[in-house]
Amino acid sequence: MMKPEVEQAVAELRSAFGGSAVAVCPKEDGGASVTIDPVDLGPGYVPRQTWLKFLIGFQYPYADIYPLFVLPDLVRADGKPHGEGITVTEFEGERALQLSRRSNHLNADIDTAALKVTKVIQWLKDK
Amino acid sequence: MAQRQVIKPVSLRLPSEMATKLENHLFPGDGDEHGAVIGAAVVETDAGCRLLGRSLFLAEDGVDYIPGSRGYRMLTADFVRHCAVTCADEGIAYLAVHNHHGDDNVAFSGTDMASHRRGYPALLDILDGPPVGGLVFARRSVAGDIWVSDDRQVELDHAVVVGRSQTLWYPSPRKVRVSDPQYDRQVRLFGDRGQEILAAQKVAIIGAGGAGSLINEYLARLGVGHLVVVDYDRLDVTNYPRVVGARAEDLNPRPRWKFLARWSCRKPAYKVTVAERTAREANPNIRYEAVVGSVIEQSIAALLVDCDAIFLAADTMQARLAVNAVCHQYLIPTWQVGAKVVNNPSGVIEDVFSVVRHIVPGQSCLWCSGLVNRTQLAEEAASDKQRAAQQYVEGVPAPSVISLNAIACAHAVDQYLFTTLELQELPVEVHWMKYRETEPYVTVELPRRDPDCSECQRRLGAGPLKALPVRAS
Repeated sequence: MMKPEVEQAVAELRSAFGGSAVAVCPKEDGGASVTIDPVDLGPGYVPRQTWLKFLIGFQYPYADIYPLFVLPDLVRADGKPHGEGITVTEFEGERALQLSRRSNHLNADIDTAALKVTKVIQWLKDK
Repeated sequence: MAQRQVIKPVSLRLPSEMATKLENHLFPGDGDEHGAVIGAAVVETDAGCRLLGRSLFLAEDGVDYIPGSRGYRMLTADFVRHCAVTCADEGIAYLAVHNHHGDDNVAFSGTDMASHRRGYPALLDILDGPPVGGLVFARRSVAGDIWVSDDRQVELDHAVVVGRSQTLWYPSPRKVRVSDPQYDRQVRLFGDRGQEILAAQKVAIIGAGGAGSLINEYLARLGVGHLVVVDYDRLDVTNYPRVVGARAEDLNPRPRWKFLARWSCRKPAYKVTVAERTAREANPNIRYEAVVGSVIEQSIAALLVDCDAIFLAADTMQARLAVNAVCHQYLIPTWQVGAKVVNNPSGVIEDVFSVVRHIVPGQSCLWCSGLVNRTQLAEEAASDKQRAAQQYVEGVPAPSVISLNAIACAHAVDQYLFTTLELQELPVEVHWMKYRETEPYVTVELPRRDPDCSECQRRLGAGPLKALPVRAS
């Protein structure tokens, strides 16, 4: 069963990503694994749309939402390498690109999971 | 008349800043009587009931606290109603407070008790669950009449002011037993009263490795009566030299019968098993709970809520967050200890230090001070398999040396003794200490303090009203 803080985060994600499906797999420890599909990355990536997966830990909102994962075969439209902070790995047994964006100075009161995910998507688009 | 029943002892804990405000209000130097109300969270455990000071309502003289119709002074009906409704809304106990003259001896008057009988049944109805009661303070004493229900009342056993220093108040001075002669040399510092306080303490140690095993031995030899020691880990060859009390057979346990040795696959001993044996050898009368597991489990964190002190000697961010919350929420003084070696990327030693951080409820906080890393919290929440997949560089163990741990542990236990036994007056401000062999002085850090901190301010004295940041059970 998800902890109330995690349930709240999921509700905020569903509200923030209304045009996408937000699938949630509750963890025994009170956290949850989340998949948002599709997420539009704009013309800078091929394919333009990806799924986005991540874990909300049971100590959320104290714990950061980190790292996040996207399609493993996602490439830049300009053919350049992804650069720093993006590596091929796995998420829950499935190949994925890992997006390593830390947020050590977040304020747990206002920096929600939805805000973090939005910022990471924007960072990816701006790269 | 309500029948008095013997029920579990009830005690009160107040954060020192609340106690100072109350003391200044009750004893401004005019020799008169003043009033207030304390709202207190209720913690019930097998050992008794603790009331945790959560809210303080000071009654303004002549407005909220006026000449009484039956006694000398009384709280006005409006003030009582406001406080009772506020306590009911939060689900906390209502404790009416006034003061008498005197020092280390105080008791309710007959008029006081009659007013309790008139007023408290109605207040119990308003609160609908939590207790209602009265407290009377003198300069260094407090008595309490706590109503659990119309027909169940109990006297307050004692009160503890939890701060940089800790103060114990009773209704009247307690008779002290002569200590066991084995403690003669330390009793010359602590007194028989101090030794008796130690025997009544329940102290938790989180982590029974290089640092925790030392604290375990110190506390057991000092005569602390009840230890709860938590660690999920077993001995191995790399921690064996630092775990106090570990024996070769703990590392390679042999079966009882030699002929079974070929098929034996017994694992090394748990660190808490070694710690328990060490403590029992030092003090056969000790009450000991060796807990195999992690403090981030709900059921294990629950074992800490009626402790008198906690030592945090574990190195995960998850444990830091959970124990820091227990400290503030349940008003339990805590010491975080550790030693660190910092190398630069070329492997050259840049810094070596031992550190002691006294976490005082409401005053110093690991979260406010930025000592709980949020990214690490996220990493620690992932499964072992996922962490491996994320390719974090693990498997490069940090340097660890028993004597560096010992510096931090000995200072932490000294601070615990001075704080708990009121040996000397301590500075009000909390200082965190760093010890380096390269410096001829101790580095002092003042903890940062956020006035709206979600941990040390909003959890302060909340007890069971707030969920702890631990795994769901």
